[in-house]
Amino acid sequence: MKLSALLLLAAVSTGLSAHTWASTRPHYGGTLRVAVRSAHMPLDPADSSQPDSPAARSLSHLMFDTLVILDARGQPQPALATSWRAEPGNQRWQFSIRRGVTYQDGTVVGPDAVAASLRRGDPTWKVMATNDAVVIECSLPTPNLPAVLALTRYGIAKRSAGKVTGSGPFAISSWDPDKKLSLKARDDYWGGRAFLDAIEVEFGKSFRELMIMLDLGKAEVVEVPPDQLRLATVQGRRVESSAPAELMALVFRHDRSTADVDAALDEKLRRAFSLSIDRNSINNVLLQGGSVPTGALLPDWMTGYAFVFPTSSDMLQAQLLRGEVPQAPAWTLGYDASDSLEKVIGERIALNASEAGLRLQPTNSGVSDVRLVRVPLATTDGRIALSSLATRLELPVPKFSDDSAYSLYVAENTLLQSQRAIPLLYLRNVVGLSPQVRGWAEDPDGEWRLENVWIEVKKP
Amino acid sequence: METAVYNSPIQGMLKAISFRRVHVFILPILILVGSGWGQDWKAAEEQLAKKIVPVTGPATFTLTVSNQPSLGGSGIGNVDDIRHGLVTQLAALGAHVVDSGQADTAVKVSLSDNLQEYVWVAEIHPSAKTGSATGGMIVMVSLPKPTTRLIQAEAGMVMHKASLWSQQDQILDVAIIERDREERPVHLLVLDTHGVAFYRLQDGAWKSEQNLPITHSQPWPRDLRGRLELQKDRLFDAYLPGVYCRSTAMPPWSIHCSEGDDSWPIGTSMFRLNAAFVSSRNYFSGALLPGVGKQASTAPFYSAAAVPGAQSTTWLFTGIDDQMHVLDGDTDRIEPTLEWGSDMASVHSGCRSGWQVLATKGGDGPTDTVRAFEFPAPGGITPDPEIQVQGRITALWSESGEAGAIAVVHFSETGGYEAFRLTLTCGR
Repeated sequence: MKLSALLLLAAVSTGLSAHTWASTRPHYGGTLRVAVRSAHMPLDPADSSQPDSPAARSLSHLMFDTLVILDARGQPQPALATSWRAEPGNQRWQFSIRRGVTYQDGTVVGPDAVAASLRRGDPTWKVMATNDAVVIECSLPTPNLPAVLALTRYGIAKRSAGKVTGSGPFAISSWDPDKKLSLKARDDYWGGRAFLDAIEVEFGKSFRELMIMLDLGKAEVVEVPPDQLRLATVQGRRVESSAPAELMALVFRHDRSTADVDAALDEKLRRAFSLSIDRNSINNVLLQGGSVPTGALLPDWMTGYAFVFPTSSDMLQAQLLRGEVPQAPAWTLGYDASDSLEKVIGERIALNASEAGLRLQPTNSGVSDVRLVRVPLATTDGRIALSSLATRLELPVPKFSDDSAYSLYVAENTLLQSQRAIPLLYLRNVVGLSPQVRGWAEDPDGEWRLENVWIEVKKP
Repeated sequence: METAVYNSPIQGMLKAISFRRVHVFILPILILVGSGWGQDWKAAEEQLAKKIVPVTGPATFTLTVSNQPSLGGSGIGNVDDIRHGLVTQLAALGAHVVDSGQADTAVKVSLSDNLQEYVWVAEIHPSAKTGSATGGMIVMVSLPKPTTRLIQAEAGMVMHKASLWSQQDQILDVAIIERDREERPVHLLVLDTHGVAFYRLQDGAWKSEQNLPITHSQPWPRDLRGRLELQKDRLFDAYLPGVYCRSTAMPPWSIHCSEGDDSWPIGTSMFRLNAAFVSSRNYFSGALLPGVGKQASTAPFYSAAAVPGAQSTTWLFTGIDDQMHVLDGDTDRIEPTLEWGSDMASVHSGCRSGWQVLATKGGDGPTDTVRAFEFPAPGGITPDPEIQVQGRITALWSESGEAGAIAVVHFSETGGYEAFRLTLTCGR
């Protein structure tokens, strides 16, 4: 194994663990300074105007509790709800609300407040408050509603006079929109006071600025682009990376042509395009090993079967398929111009396609035939994650016959059969940490567990 | 409202107690954790065979089995054993598995997993029968992973490690209240985040006898700790942050709990010492009762260990300042800790000086180590045997009776906890 690969391996944590205390027990006190690339983060958990990201979800969970959380195995566990039950048919659910929980401003988080917050999270639900519970009526059977309620957007929030308040382990001290967020630990948090006294988050930093902040000791936690994982490791920085948690895929604007003859040709072109892409090269060269090539929409750690979807390129087969189509249209390939990674990967894909005889014109403006997109996993629950991906990729809503792995496979395979999307890579979420940061843990979907982090005081 | 789904605390997974010696000096410790080695796969083999045969029909086919763990590790199971089991099940259904050559179909079975389940995937080729994006017909079976991890520690002549109990909820302490003639535990108390549970070994299986819930008005601290202490005039006392409980003396067992900052016992039945626990944190304030000689306090600390000497007893404290404080009745001095962690316990082995200190190793990795120390030792504090566990030690207490220590390990992969008893014996 090459030295760089070994270094990378050493640097990559599995990210599959929930928090666990070190043999050195956590110390209380201190302020954790976090710096992230995103320039926009809505405070309101129900605000979906900004792109989802693990960093945004991590920060939201510091301020806003959800009724349910998912444990290390992706199983729902009580949070603001202490128990739940469903009526036959799984459309009507009752969640018992934990007593004695208060918002940051001291008001009680009762069933009425929870119901009001949930209505905002999904206006299609009928949500009613009872004495000590809320009842949710969904329009369709929703057997996995507890796991759905673990999503950030169902964080319980009190909204009044333009302010939003939560019941999470940290309270908002100050908020300078899109610049800086200051949080203070709540001594009365029902789940136990966080170890840190405070967390300060700075937004909108470039990679260069983030590295300087980390190196100069101006931040203890910074985001690192996945393609910089190897370099940061070689340079001796402490980096942690998650399990593969962000899908990079190509999405066609249109379904395959419906006319029989055209559909057959279209199918061949799309297969040729998919076979022409050298995922391994993109990962090894452009991403410096910061991802995992994938032919599946969901990562293997979530399904256990992703390996059955091939990832290897086959240029000869791609050329043969292309040769069976007399006239191939030129496709435009769209990408986010502000994302340097998408730009270089888009250019590489266009190059691969041209070797197969396909014409692909990268563009960063207007509507394109094919888009290169990055979609973070929304959760560790496979069904919810696939449904969420389908929505983001504008694919049909997946259907599940039951809760088995095979049912998930059938639903995913059906989406892939449509040839609307071509999965490319699963990116890791990478952070740079100062040596003083202890108790660092991430969920497999890349979400940080900052409430369990603590700062080590250097020995005299 | 009819009950369709109701979440309740995940039931503790009862597991047969196994006692195996840990030869820590001579042989590396064999810990097979997180894999399915040793699991009975017969049901999965039968299910998968029943899904393969309808696809292959009566054709002869080749069968390959390989490990494909999605979460890393050495593999899901023993491929040779599972292949043999599959061949048997397939033959029972009339299918013919051949080694190679004349088969017109190939079946490739991958033993994989995801967060919750083992997933066995059979890819059936050739792809003429496909309809799949994968180029072959796919069938699969899944079965839940165990919520706890099997530890099979072998070898050892100095440090013994005996698994006591495992469950999904956090274990805070375990006490053995009855043993059989061979000194194996047959009656246990388990203190967890909900209360105290009684378990009895009957007909080779552990059965829940009784649960005594413990209520509390204040939130538990994030790094929750708790301790059980067996008593002579009643069965036990339980200590949790801000909560003290005492049991009745006779069955039927019940407990009476009161809230307040009671001091916890931090010594042994022979060397008693109590200390005030800070109920909103994870450490002791440093106030000692009755004190060590003239000393009534030390720096705030996580744990303590008594080291009896010929003249007096020395006490060691792992301070929250990451220093080890040594109190001898007169002075409070700081000693190098050899990278000790926060938890330690005294054990009376009868070997050498008679007493050793078991201490966790400091650090923040996925595995943990418990080491035995002699204190004082010629030339300073020297580490003796050690054992490693594939998880993090979350509790380490001297056992009532001080012949051993109770350690609790948290396995991050499964989220489960396991308590085991550590003892030291002499000789090789």
